[in-house]
Amino acid sequence: MKDNRFAIYHGRTRLLLAFFILILAVSVGRFFYLQIIKGGELRDLREQNINDFDYIYPKRGRILSKDGIVLAEDRKIYSVAIDLEQKPSERSIQIFANIFSNRIDFESIKLKVEQSLRSRRSEIILTKIGQEDLAKFLVRGEELTGFSIIEDYERQYDSHPSFFHVLGHMGYLNQSDIDHFSQKIDKYNPKLWRKVGKSGIERVYEKELQGKHGKKFFQRNARGDRRVITSEEPFSEGSEIIVSIDYSAQKLAYELMQGNKGSIVVIDLKDFSIPVAVSAPSISANDLRGISSAQYQELLNDSSRPLFNRAFMGLYPPGSSIKPLFATFALSNSYTDWEETIFDDGFFRFEEEQRVFNAWKEGGHGYTDLNKALVESSNPFFMNLSVKYEKSKFVELLKSSSFGSKLCEDCYPHQYSPLIDDAWKRKNFGKELFKGDFINLGIGQGYMLTTPLHLSLIAGMLASKGQYKLPYLVKENDLDFSIDVEMEELDWVKLNQALIDVVYSKNGTGYRIKAGNLNLAGKSGTAQVVDINSREEYEEVRENPNLRDHAIFIGYAPFDDPRYSIAVIVENGESGGRIAGPIARDVLKDLLDDI
Amino acid sequence: MTFDLRTTIIIFSLALIILMGSLTVYSVTSIDIYYFSRFLLISIFAILLVTLIFNQINLNRILSVGWVLFILNIIIVLSVELLGNEVKGSKRWIDFGFLSIQPSEFMKITFALFVIQYLRFYSFQFNPFRTLFLLAALFLSAIPIIIQPDLGTGLVYILLGLMLLFICGMHRFYFIIMGVFGILLSPIIYSFGLTSYQKSRIISWFSSDQTLSEKWNILQSEISIGSGGLFGEGFLNSKQNEFNFLPEADTDFIFSIYAEQFGFLGVLAIFILVGLFILLTTIISMEQKRLTDDLSPYFLGTYFSLVIGFSFLLNILMVSGLIPVVGLPLPFFTKGGSSLLCFSIMIGLIFSSRSFLR
Repeated sequence: MKDNRFAIYHGRTRLLLAFFILILAVSVGRFFYLQIIKGGELRDLREQNINDFDYIYPKRGRILSKDGIVLAEDRKIYSVAIDLEQKPSERSIQIFANIFSNRIDFESIKLKVEQSLRSRRSEIILTKIGQEDLAKFLVRGEELTGFSIIEDYERQYDSHPSFFHVLGHMGYLNQSDIDHFSQKIDKYNPKLWRKVGKSGIERVYEKELQGKHGKKFFQRNARGDRRVITSEEPFSEGSEIIVSIDYSAQKLAYELMQGNKGSIVVIDLKDFSIPVAVSAPSISANDLRGISSAQYQELLNDSSRPLFNRAFMGLYPPGSSIKPLFATFALSNSYTDWEETIFDDGFFRFEEEQRVFNAWKEGGHGYTDLNKALVESSNPFFMNLSVKYEKSKFVELLKSSSFGSKLCEDCYPHQYSPLIDDAWKRKNFGKELFKGDFINLGIGQGYMLTTPLHLSLIAGMLASKGQYKLPYLVKENDLDFSIDVEMEELDWVKLNQALIDVVYSKNGTGYRIKAGNLNLAGKSGTAQVVDINSREEYEEVRENPNLRDHAIFIGYAPFDDPRYSIAVIVENGESGGRIAGPIARDVLKDLLDDI
Repeated sequence: MTFDLRTTIIIFSLALIILMGSLTVYSVTSIDIYYFSRFLLISIFAILLVTLIFNQINLNRILSVGWVLFILNIIIVLSVELLGNEVKGSKRWIDFGFLSIQPSEFMKITFALFVIQYLRFYSFQFNPFRTLFLLAALFLSAIPIIIQPDLGTGLVYILLGLMLLFICGMHRFYFIIMGVFGILLSPIIYSFGLTSYQKSRIISWFSSDQTLSEKWNILQSEISIGSGGLFGEGFLNSKQNEFNFLPEADTDFIFSIYAEQFGFLGVLAIFILVGLFILLTTIISMEQKRLTDDLSPYFLGTYFSLVIGFSFLLNILMVSGLIPVVGLPLPFFTKGGSSLLCFSIMIGLIFSSRSFLR
């Protein structure tokens, strides 16, 4: 009995010992599994724990004019931020507030410090401190514990307002930007970008300009508040973009607008680049940088619409300036020739509808042939022609001269001139085009609308005998286009002569341009802002500056070997020859003098 | 104390365990020499002191005040509610400046002293009354530990107490009954007896959702262990500790940092040392052939050896993710002073039991 009790004691102790050894063996197995079998995997997890990186924001690429002048670049700016590793002491906050007392006070710094420490994010206290303030900070840096200087970049533009519309501007990334760039840029990661191009070159060439982020690798602890920087991979600066704008001509063109609303577009016929694209009025892109939303709203509501890019977006009736294009159409389809003469008494009577259209010149031009109709700008002559136009051929002409299609791949925002055909009219008026419509269309009125860029291109088409390319700002477009006309060489010579006569003959509507030895050929136009049916109404309209006609001039120079085409539109400028023409002359002179 | 081979191995392995423990504490406490020296001071002095005292004075004298120590311990545990500092939602510490004591740790010792004193009076013969009395004492004394609230320590206390009664020969009928009741009652205890904190610990162990913070702790612990590989990162080279990814790296999860520094070979070394130590101390304690002798040293020796062994394993299973997180320190691997003191006293008691003193 007594021995039996001992057996129980020993048996139980041994049982527990065996159990102990069993679990010990299980533990050995478990550690073998964790350390030997899964060791590598768990080690990778540890490295993921510890190693992290921050992106270094890249420097955006510069934008240069054709002649090498910097139009936009990123400049370094300095800001003061809270250093989370050395929390700012009460004393250093006080010293900081004293140094920058004109910009920030003690209480607001303290509030920001508290927020920053709570959210564990390095809050910025002062943005964009100047050289003087930077020096002040650095001199007392020892005492300013808990504050650190961070470097950043800010977009700086040439401050001349003429560049704003071409270059565009930067703004904070929003959802529509994300949608836009996700389509244009491969693997676009919106989280990486704060500001993006909103318009102009900045937007079209976002991908090229944006550059690539660098990385700052560091090791951090579990709470993320202790960091050891291990290595750095520098950012790569965005590519430099050279825009076809001619620096001095662009500025001059803007100045020549003298505060008027309107637009000037020049196309270099050598390669169809755009050396001048002015939209007036405008602002300096730098002014849009730190603007408040109230100020921005004010700019948007400004009746002169300084933020609207008239050069690529403005739709104007081309008026008489479209006549040379239609002359090629009429000649090519034998609606007329250089011999046909009509009597212009200042009216056109449309028999079918029994309507009478009055022309701009009281009493008319008398006996008029095609040359005279172009030089003196006879409306009845062209109205007489336009009733003969076949609809389908007319639409083909418009199509082949780039109505209804995109003109310029890197102009943003961009509007194309509407293609006036049955579909267009049905959509807008519920009816098909009828004969009467062509009377207005034939003199560039009615439904006909063109952008200044398009008008300049039309001038280019006339200069290069119907052959043309699509204009560009940065990347040349190689596709060749031609307008759908078949003209004899002699017809082109005669047309060229007519456009020379516009400027150089005494009767020419552009004679007052006094183009001198510039060898300018062109066509003036006056576009009605409102429909006027009688001379009484006309006088009434003249009283109101905003209802006055737009002055238009299109042309090219030199006429014997055309290099540049131009379109000038001065809103409410009334006279194409007198107002728009001289501007075209001065801009082209500046450009040709440079060659 | 005779220095035969077994004793030499015991002393050698204990010395190595204490050395590795102190170095590991040094490495996780931001290389603080204070904790390192405190560790060595407490462990070595406590072991030597207890061993010497118990050698000099008769064990019987100590055992004769077992119940006094037990009652005193319970009173101190209860008074901690009023005096203790709150640590992570649990009030269980008394601060002595140099050392903050968690009195419930010592319940394992004082309960054993009380039980052995009580049973010795009846020549270690159980009857139903004595059985129920001891069980009642065990479960009632566990209540303040559980309420404090530290369910983990309370459960471990009950399990170790039952192990003591098992060693002492309590009839297996009672263990079967308790086992059945335990299983039947566990859902009720879970629903009504646990705080949300305790529930979250249990849920996180069963859930695969890694975002739960308990699961995160275990994951970080496994990462530390796994990163050690075969040879380890080397002493003072634990990155998980350097970058604070492992919570409680200086107490309950210290072994993970050890494993990261010394690798699987280091882990194996500790397992072997601990295994040898427990095995040999238990076997030596069992070498008592005559029932006429006082059986108390047998029970003290085997019980405390196994307590140290199973405490070690519970922590090992916890840090390697095999059982839920219970706040249970690893013997001789902890910054915590009271756990260290407690285990040192146990070693002293093992050494002073008569089998070692032939």
